[in-house]
Amino acid sequence: MKNTNNISLKNATLGYKKSGKEISVLNHLNLDFTSSELIGIVGLNGTGKSTLLKTLCGLLPLLHGEIYIGAVDIEDLSLNELAKKISIVLTEKIGGFNLTAYDVVAAGQMPYTNSFNKLNAENISIIQNAIAVCGIAEHQHKLVNELSDGLFQKTVIAKALAQQTPIMLLDEPSAFLDYASKHDLFLLLQKLAAQQSKCILVSSHDLDLLLKYCQKLLVIAKGEAQLISVSEAKQNAAFMKIAGGFLG
Amino acid sequence: MYGGSQSITFSSEDFIFSQIRCPKTITAIIAGCTLSVSGLILQIIFRNPLAGPYVLGISSGASLMVAVGILAGQTFGFLSGKSFVVLCAVGGSFFITLLILIISKKVSSNVVLLLIGIMLSQICGALQMALEYFSDPNNLKTFVIWGMGSLANTTNNDLLIYVPVAILSLLVLLFFIKPLNALLLGQNYAQNAGINFSRSRFYLILISSLLTGLTTAFCGPIAFVGIAVPILSRMIFSSAKQQVHIFSCLLLGSIILLISDAVTNSLIPNVALPVNMMTTFIGAPLVMYLMFRNKHW
Repeated sequence: MKNTNNISLKNATLGYKKSGKEISVLNHLNLDFTSSELIGIVGLNGTGKSTLLKTLCGLLPLLHGEIYIGAVDIEDLSLNELAKKISIVLTEKIGGFNLTAYDVVAAGQMPYTNSFNKLNAENISIIQNAIAVCGIAEHQHKLVNELSDGLFQKTVIAKALAQQTPIMLLDEPSAFLDYASKHDLFLLLQKLAAQQSKCILVSSHDLDLLLKYCQKLLVIAKGEAQLISVSEAKQNAAFMKIAGGFLG
Repeated sequence: MYGGSQSITFSSEDFIFSQIRCPKTITAIIAGCTLSVSGLILQIIFRNPLAGPYVLGISSGASLMVAVGILAGQTFGFLSGKSFVVLCAVGGSFFITLLILIISKKVSSNVVLLLIGIMLSQICGALQMALEYFSDPNNLKTFVIWGMGSLANTTNNDLLIYVPVAILSLLVLLFFIKPLNALLLGQNYAQNAGINFSRSRFYLILISSLLTGLTTAFCGPIAFVGIAVPILSRMIFSSAKQQVHIFSCLLLGSIILLISDAVTNSLIPNVALPVNMMTTFIGAPLVMYLMFRNKHW
C-alpha cells in the first residue's frame, strides 16, 4: 500500500511573485519525502530553505509543477484539509492581544473546531498533551511576548504538535534553544517520526545535530536540491561546502 | 376597529421622553456597540492595538463622503435620503480602510501607521472644509454641527434603519469569530490553521466599514470610542478569545457612550456640550497610558 502521507514534488519550481513578476529560487525539483523519516534541510542563508517549507504548506504559491501528498495534488485540498495534513513552525514572532502560550498551542487545534472555535474535552486533552511533551506546562499561562526566545520556540513547536498532522515542517526551530533543549528537540522529532510515522522536515544550521539525529539530508545549493542519506553526507561536495571545512 | 376620530394628545413630558430621550438613548447604545466592535476588528486586522476608526481617519472618510453626497444631492437635485447618506458613509469608510491596508503593507511600525491615519484624517477634513465653504449657508450649520458628532440628531424614523442594520452586521460578525482568533497569529499561521486569510480579512473590513459608516452617517464622527473600548476590554478581561471581547465591547461601548452623554448633558444646566468632548477625555488618556505602558512596538 502506498503511504498516503508521503510528500512528493514533481518538476516543481519554487519562488515568489514580486509585482507580478515570478522570481524563481529553486528550479525543477523532483523529490520524495517518505513518512517515518526525519529529514534535515541544509543550505546557506538565502538559498531557499524557507521558500521550500512555505511552498509545501501553501503559504507561497507554487510557480510551476506539482506537489502531492500521497496521491492527492495539494491544489485539490481545501485550506482546512491542508491544515490537517501539514503544520509549520516559522521563524516569525507573534504575540500581544493577551495571547498566552496556551492560546498559541490551542490554535493548533483550530482546523478541528467548529466555526465558533469551541474546544471540546478531546481538543483540550490534545493541547495539554502537546504542552506537556514540549515541557512548557509551567509557562502555559504566561503572555507570549513575555516568554524568552527559547520558550517561545517551544510554544510554537507545541502548536504544530497539537495540529496532529502527518507532515511537520520546521524552519530553524533550534535557533534560540539552549544546548540541552536543542538535543531534546531533535530527540522529540526523531521519536515522533519513528513512533507516529510522521514525515518531518527541519531546516537548521546546527549541522552536527542534523548529522546525529536525521535519516536524510536535503542539501540546497545554487538553486538545486539533492536528497542524500546522512551516511553519505561527508562524501557530498555541496554539503561539505556548506559546512565550510569546520565539521570534525 | 377604531372608528371615528381619535385624538392623541401628548403631554410635553411624554413627547420629550418618546421623541427625544428614547431615540437618543438607543442611539448612544448602538453607536457605542458599533464603534467599539469596529475598532476591535481594525485592531486585529492591523494587529495594532492603536488602530481605531477615528484615529485611522476612517470616520473622517465617512464624513467626507457624506458631505460630498449631500452637496451633490443639492447641486444636481436628486433625493438624498437617510439610506443614501448611510451608503455614502459606508463607501467612504471602506475606501479609507482599504487605503490604510495598502499603506500598512509598506510600513512595519504601528506608530507610523497611526500617523498616516491622522494625516489621512486631516486630508479628509481639509477637503470637507472646502466643500463646506461652497455649500449654501442654510446647510452649513447642519454640516458643522453634524461634524462635531452628536447623539441627538437621530429621529425614531432613523432608528428604523440604524438599529436593524447595526444588529444584522453584528450578527454576521459572529460567523467570523474563528478567523478573528486566527488573525491574531498573523497571516501565515492563520492560513496554516485552515483560514482563508484574504477572504476573511476582506469580509471583516466590510463589516467594520459598515459599522463605522452607519454610525457616522447618523451621529457624525464620534471620537476615541472605537480605539479606547477594545483596549479597555483587553485590560479588564485578560483573554485572547475574541468572542469574549466582542461581547464586552458591546457592553463597555454602550456604557461609556451613555455615561458620556449623561455627563455632557448635565455638566452645565440647560447646556448640552458635544459628546465628543467627553469621549476624548476618556479615550485619549487611555491611549496615552497604553503607549507608555506597552513597549512592544
